[in-house]
Amino acid sequence: MGGRGSIVRIIDFLADPVMRAIYLPGTLAGFCTVIMCGLVSPLVVVKRLGFIGQGISHSAFGGVGVAAMLAAMGVIAIGGAAEFGVIAAFCVAAALGMGLLADRKRTPEDTTIGLFLVGSMAAGALLVATARDRASASGRAPDARSWESILFGSVMNAGNAEVVLAAIVLVVAVVAVLALRRPLLFWAFDEDAARAFGVPTRLIRGALMVLLALIVVTAMKIAGVVLASALLVLPGAIAMKLSARLIPVTLLSIACGIFGLLAGLALSVQQNWQPGPCVVLVMAALFGLAIGWSRWRSGFHARSSR
Amino acid sequence: MTDIAVQLDSVTYTYPGAEAPAIENIHLAVPAGSRLGILGPNGGGKSTLLKIALGLLEPTSGRVTVFGRAPAQARRDGLIGYVPQKVEAELGFPMSVREIVALGATWRLSPWRGTPPAMKARIEEMLALTGAADFADRPIGTLSGGQMQRAMIARALVANPKILALDEPMVGIDAAGQQQFAALLDRIHRTLGLTILIISHDLRAIAAGSDRVACLARKLHSHISPEGLTPQVLAELFSHDLAGISGVTGPVHVHAHRATECCEHDHGDANGGGHAHATGNLTIIAPPMGGGGRSGSGGEGVNRADH
Repeated sequence: MGGRGSIVRIIDFLADPVMRAIYLPGTLAGFCTVIMCGLVSPLVVVKRLGFIGQGISHSAFGGVGVAAMLAAMGVIAIGGAAEFGVIAAFCVAAALGMGLLADRKRTPEDTTIGLFLVGSMAAGALLVATARDRASASGRAPDARSWESILFGSVMNAGNAEVVLAAIVLVVAVVAVLALRRPLLFWAFDEDAARAFGVPTRLIRGALMVLLALIVVTAMKIAGVVLASALLVLPGAIAMKLSARLIPVTLLSIACGIFGLLAGLALSVQQNWQPGPCVVLVMAALFGLAIGWSRWRSGFHARSSR
Repeated sequence: MTDIAVQLDSVTYTYPGAEAPAIENIHLAVPAGSRLGILGPNGGGKSTLLKIALGLLEPTSGRVTVFGRAPAQARRDGLIGYVPQKVEAELGFPMSVREIVALGATWRLSPWRGTPPAMKARIEEMLALTGAADFADRPIGTLSGGQMQRAMIARALVANPKILALDEPMVGIDAAGQQQFAALLDRIHRTLGLTILIISHDLRAIAAGSDRVACLARKLHSHISPEGLTPQVLAELFSHDLAGISGVTGPVHVHAHRATECCEHDHGDANGGGHAHATGNLTIIAPPMGGGGRSGSGGEGVNRADH
């Protein structure tokens, strides 16, 4: 693919005024998104929250459905802060629901997440379709976004409002992670012992669920409902193949996210493919390379120590 | 501060929906600075008792105090250092042993505050005391069972607790690690003068670190020290390879109780809290409390019965 060439290509691309107007807000929102995803991704990986991330991101589709219905009823406008608020509220409720049920351990965690995931997808599908019919019947402009852009994301859906929202969520994520880093890490390493030490584990889990929900709603603009959780998992998984130190892992995770975004967008522009899948595929390829590097390095150490 | 570290008065706990209590009418007073081992079969209520002492469960009836405070308060005040049964860190968990150990104290700090020098010094001191200083810079996921245990003990000690509570400390520890564990607990007790509470179904763990032993199988036996069951007696019993004891196969479960208080009433316990006498287990019967059997001289007054 030629990562360096691709990045130069996207910079050239953004230098064109027309293309810049289309792609720049999405790229900026994407930058904020991959930084916040990279920041929490190692935590998601070590705490095995990948599936819950999947559950939250698919729940967002239910939120999209509710927002579409509200828009068809003329209560809110599609796009912008109101829609973000509705989807975020839906995701936060779903995330807290999943977190609470998982914490009680009466229903297996994967069953709980699966239930929220398919339930929200089903509700979202019905609500979006009904909202379109209702908007047409009442003479309102229907939601023009394609199913593909909702499911797989599109940076072209992003405008200045999305950039501002992504920047706000980024600030919230950075402050929350810095403020809670010690109890969060204690909880992530050993939840039972953390509880015995007095760490408010339920509060920590709840705070993380809310944060993940906000991040997923933001990530939806880039990767869509289906792929948003990949941005939560892949950067951390790649970084942890390359280092076992907290700060390098966190920085590498963020760097992988930024590289994946730039290279993915470049690939998207070059091949005229959808950007979300391109970003995720670039990161998946990076993960493959990181596994190869990690294996080569362990083999090298084993050979050296003989 | 009171000279009783942990006190339980008539404590009963029944899990929601369970027919029988997990522990029943427990009276226990652990003097500050003592080392109490609570021995009992799996399902006998040891973990429940520990959770109650840590304030993680509220007793259904009865009263619990830890240094005169409610257990949850004592936990919040950092009076209890807890060492979990087994921690299985991901191989790639991106933190060093030192960073994990430090969290035992630093998690309470304001997020915008660095680690104070005195706390840093205490962290290094506890790493050295437990022998974890040798591997403090290694990633936590690369430790052996014995090394992980030392790291977890260091983590429990950095917050300067008054009680060290160990849950099944011998699980996953090899023979060499078990010997080091006994020496380590002794060193910690001598250096820090803590109250040590060990719960285990494994007599070796109890023998390694206790000067008082109680047996818990739903009900508590020998809740005051059975003096006949001294570390010397236990050490003598386990001074040779267990495999050499005729008729003993599989894991060894031990019940220590007063000879006058036999355990028929607990046999066949429907809730799983009964004694594990079924297959090839070893029973140690300590002499009666306050009786003439306080030999402390080894095997005298101690009977072994292979079932």
